[in-house]
Amino acid sequence: MATDTLATISLSKEKQSSLDRFLAKGFPTNKWEEWKYTSLKSLNDIEWNWNTSEHSVNSAALALENTCEIQSQNGKMTLIGSLPQGVEYLDFASFAAQKPEFMQAFNERNPILDQNPLYDLNDALASSHQVIWVKKGVKLEKPVLHTYFASVSIASAIQIKVLIYLEEGAELTWVDDLASSEDSKSILSNYVQEIWVSKNAHLTFVKTQDFGLSTTHVDHTFIFQADQSVVDMFTFSLNGGLIRNNLHFYVDGQQVISNLNGLYVPSNNQLVDSHTVVDHRMPNSESNELYKGVLLGNSTGVFNGKIFVRPDAQKTNAFQSCKNVLASDKASMNTKPQLEIWADDVKCSHGTTTGQLSEEALFYMRSRGLSLDAAKTLLMLAFVQQVIDKVEIPALKESISSRVVAKIQQALSV
Amino acid sequence: MLSITNLHARIGEKEILRGINLEVKAGEVHAIMGPNGSGKSTLASVLAGREDYEVTEGAVSFFGKDLLDLAPEKRAAEGVFLAFQYPVEIPGVSTTNFMKSAVNEIRKYRGEEPLDAVQFLKMFKEKMAYVNIDQSLLSRSLNEGFSGGEKKRNEIFQMAVLAPKLAILDETDSGLDIDALRIVAEGVNKLKSPDNATIVVTHYQRLLDYIVPDYVHVLYKGRIVKSGTKDLALELEEKGYDWIISALVD
Repeated sequence: MATDTLATISLSKEKQSSLDRFLAKGFPTNKWEEWKYTSLKSLNDIEWNWNTSEHSVNSAALALENTCEIQSQNGKMTLIGSLPQGVEYLDFASFAAQKPEFMQAFNERNPILDQNPLYDLNDALASSHQVIWVKKGVKLEKPVLHTYFASVSIASAIQIKVLIYLEEGAELTWVDDLASSEDSKSILSNYVQEIWVSKNAHLTFVKTQDFGLSTTHVDHTFIFQADQSVVDMFTFSLNGGLIRNNLHFYVDGQQVISNLNGLYVPSNNQLVDSHTVVDHRMPNSESNELYKGVLLGNSTGVFNGKIFVRPDAQKTNAFQSCKNVLASDKASMNTKPQLEIWADDVKCSHGTTTGQLSEEALFYMRSRGLSLDAAKTLLMLAFVQQVIDKVEIPALKESISSRVVAKIQQALSV
Repeated sequence: MLSITNLHARIGEKEILRGINLEVKAGEVHAIMGPNGSGKSTLASVLAGREDYEVTEGAVSFFGKDLLDLAPEKRAAEGVFLAFQYPVEIPGVSTTNFMKSAVNEIRKYRGEEPLDAVQFLKMFKEKMAYVNIDQSLLSRSLNEGFSGGEKKRNEIFQMAVLAPKLAILDETDSGLDIDALRIVAEGVNKLKSPDNATIVVTHYQRLLDYIVPDYVHVLYKGRIVKSGTKDLALELEEKGYDWIISALVD
């Protein structure tokens, strides 16, 4: 087993217990309820390097006007440039020392892990959280750009762990430009983000996942929201061998707004799995979830959207929508909305659809001179545009649109 | 321009066109009339290349080319335009973006340079005047939430932009009030030239008050059973279709 070599790594006591939890379960297979369509069993067949020191440079990283850039190269994070007043970039121990009151909340957090031993693997092998701390009332106009790139010459597992902390009234746009090289050896990219959004704070988080085919990316994003905070979350899964996104919102305050937007365009034999949880634990808050997918080639999509409305969370508004287009006979989509509501005075709705491009629309467009492929591309782009248009950074919007179009055109030309 | 010979077409097992013959020359306006289910819309669809229909016999030549051999987009590039009876709603695609794609695809087919944004702006402005259509409508999702009149006006706007050699108007009058009908008809008339031709498919004579045909053909059970001038349309309006049909039985 590939995981055998893990036993030889020497770890601190706490990390060792995380590793033991991972080893007891191993990589998920599709016998597990939460991994029904997304087996990671084949990762067992790879001889992983668990601690790469290889260097990687992304020559095609997103160019975006920013406050600062944080580069992750094969998991090593470096701050490029300087931070403005009121923003700190520090390790977890220093953060904890300066913010002792946070530690209690941190230790009491209780993330839903959905049978996810990869979280434990990350905990065991990642160095501690890298913390980005935006202080009270600090509003950053330009985004913090995180360019994450992986490229290895021997199969490697990469772990990183980030903690974003927004104090009261802070505003941050975080752009995750995640990529790996097309010709890399196998990569297991295992990325944990724990995000705390205090009262009245506003976070916009845009994630683009554009990996090579040899990359398996597992993403764990936990967001804790306090009173009157707003989070606009975007997950654009553009490319990669297998992508599993676990996105969990914990609504721990009132008048909270949580917006979850997702878009995926897998092709070939790719798989994109979006597992989301919105856990309404307090009253008077609102969540809006909009996921859209275009499934090309032989690809597989999975959407599992859980919404919990706890007994205390009266007057919750929770909406969920997942719409998909199967652009090929061989593509498949598996959707499972899961609403568990214990409060009685709430408004909740959910809807999932999976269909094909309208033949009538295609004929209409062709009758005006568009080729079949051009008509399909235009229809598919129009279908997903709704999600892209919510991104408020023009250069980023442009970049996402053009990558989606290129992906569709490439798949249609096969 | 267009020559239809003994055209037979069916959908599934059902034969709908059963031997159509029609000659259309440049500069002419032809009206195809007939009762419901006679095959009028099928003829329009077959000419535009809708794949639901199977042509079992006959030929259609367009400027000497075998039209039936061409994909719908190739027919459009050759100069055929079908104004839909029920224009399709396309969420997320604006009319202007759609027309930009269509025009440049057609120009590519013809070996012409693509138009740039400035050229499009100028052209759209000019064509908008033809059907008295508003810019705001063209920026909205194509046909989505449009009224019946707006949809038909948008069809004629697209026709003006694409400047076809042969325009086929499929029941363009359906769902239009008299004002909208006049605007649409005026647009069609302005686009008329000695080099292009129009086929108007309609159930009622009403539209022909505004778009005056050179020839009127009555379609019944998949065949043209009577042809004449515009007076035939007036006669149909007065007497209905029954007198022709009963004459056939005799």
